[in-house]
Amino acid sequence: MIQTSSSIRPRRRAFGALEPSPIGVVLRWIGLSILALGCFFPFYAMVMLSLKPNLALHFPASLMPWNLSPESYKQVLVGQDVLVWLGNSLIYSVTSVVGVLLIASMAGYAFAKKRFRGKEVMFWSFLSMVMVPFHVTLIPTFIVLAKLGGVDTYWGLILPSLANAQAVFLMRQFIQGLPDELFEAASIDGAGPLRIFFTIVLPLCKPVLATLGIFVFLWHWNDFLWPLIMAKSSEMWTLTVGIASLQQQTVTLSVMLAGSVVALVPIFFAYLIAQRYVQEGVATTGIKG
Amino acid sequence: MKTIGSPDTPTQPRPEMPAAGPDRAHAAAGAPKRTVQRREARIGFYFALPAFLLFIAFRFGPAIAGVALSFFDYDISGTLDWQGVSNFQHMVGDPVFWQAMRVTLLYSILEVPLTLTASVLMALAVRRGFRGSRFFRSLFFLPVITSLVLAGSIFKWIFSSDGPWSTLMTPFGLGGSWLNSPILVIPVIVIIGVWSRFGYGMLIVIAALQDVPRELEEAALMDGAGAWPRFRYIVLPHLKPVLYFLIVIETAGSFQVFDLVYVLTQGGPARGSYSLVYMLYDQGFRYSNFGYGAAIGVMLFLMTLAAALIQRRAMGRDK
Repeated sequence: MIQTSSSIRPRRRAFGALEPSPIGVVLRWIGLSILALGCFFPFYAMVMLSLKPNLALHFPASLMPWNLSPESYKQVLVGQDVLVWLGNSLIYSVTSVVGVLLIASMAGYAFAKKRFRGKEVMFWSFLSMVMVPFHVTLIPTFIVLAKLGGVDTYWGLILPSLANAQAVFLMRQFIQGLPDELFEAASIDGAGPLRIFFTIVLPLCKPVLATLGIFVFLWHWNDFLWPLIMAKSSEMWTLTVGIASLQQQTVTLSVMLAGSVVALVPIFFAYLIAQRYVQEGVATTGIKG
Repeated sequence: MKTIGSPDTPTQPRPEMPAAGPDRAHAAAGAPKRTVQRREARIGFYFALPAFLLFIAFRFGPAIAGVALSFFDYDISGTLDWQGVSNFQHMVGDPVFWQAMRVTLLYSILEVPLTLTASVLMALAVRRGFRGSRFFRSLFFLPVITSLVLAGSIFKWIFSSDGPWSTLMTPFGLGGSWLNSPILVIPVIVIIGVWSRFGYGMLIVIAALQDVPRELEEAALMDGAGAWPRFRYIVLPHLKPVLYFLIVIETAGSFQVFDLVYVLTQGGPARGSYSLVYMLYDQGFRYSNFGYGAAIGVMLFLMTLAAALIQRRAMGRDK
């Protein structure tokens, strides 16, 4: 299903009856531009206000693009642990991406192409949990990890997030579409299971791994409740937890927004590079944004 | 957390792959068939094992434990006290719970239809390939990938008494900070919720719109059907499956509203935005009432399930 992703691109056909007329296009452009401005306004305001440390922040004077100063950025980068939080967010997100992709593609391969005892039971236990909200499991997971000493550690933060049923489904779905002959040929050539997995299955899964990887990264970068509970000391906070904590301190709005901008830039950058994968991933798999 | 099903996720197991059929046994260079089968089975089992163990430890087990815990009192020192249904009794008699329920349902009833409407309208607006349609799509999707925790502080300003929203609303006699009003705080959270979710639905609907037969629409146009009848009788029936999918997952998501409440209002003012998940967090992790928190979690699960079943009924009958 990932392979059919090109269908999302608009079909460029001859000027048909349903195509808007040139005037229609112009009107649509104007309408959409107004909506786009409204949609984008919070980002613009965020950047502008973060660059105005000293103004009494009254609308609309505060939004004009002059009298800008990077003072707030200096304050937030020096006075707060933003860089530490950024590092933690990176560790949390990147480790989870690697872990989820590896574990889910292994399980997806087994569920798609292997036959073994307990397969049905395993698969159904995954399926049965799809409708159970994460919040039902929140307190027990926390208690168990607290008992094991996982609170305020990276492993306690990361390990539970590796259990990702959606990723397993997606990988299984994709690998089911791969031809059996490839694996058989490799098997005849004497390749072991691990070798087949790493040199044949994984490379063939590149498109779906890319899509899934971006989403896993996004989920963890934006994750809030779980790190909020698990990371107690400020040097373990992720960016979301750290930025939220700034609101409870007596920093100015400008400094807080500078922190938010610093936290948002990596995700926007990633989106800019990978937006096609992101959009096609949503369109073709319904993966949760 | 992020385990809402995808539309393509099969809800029934597929027929078994003929993984160890005669062809393959033959192919494996003369090894006895049974040995090959066993080997294959062992490999499959070990490949699935890490995911399965993690799943048992961190999803399945805790879900069972969560339900069990709702019948106990537990404090972090480790004493478990059997409570029977007293957590639930307490919940039913707790005005704070009903407030949280009211906030959550009100949010849901407003946010889900608005998000869906916006998704469909925007999808229709950007669907045909015209210059710039890709750009608009990318831009409208931007809020979806933006963490509401990180965007929270700018929204706090936008809806404050110094912000643009107050200026905009003053002519209607609704100036001032909406976040300080126990009633107007819900619309604020709804507006931001729609802002952050409609781009997702838009992409899903655009993909579904590709399947609407163009010939049918063109024929209807030739027959003089206006825009609304064309949408109502040709496009909408094709969108039904994805709209159902969107309703279910957006409803489930809206029941879990938390991040925004935490950063914008901390549940206030006067518990005007005190949602169920916020209550779960408050009870479980601020007051360490783990049993009570777990009971709220169970309630949330039952609500999600009930909503999905009702929605299935409603969509099914409509067919």
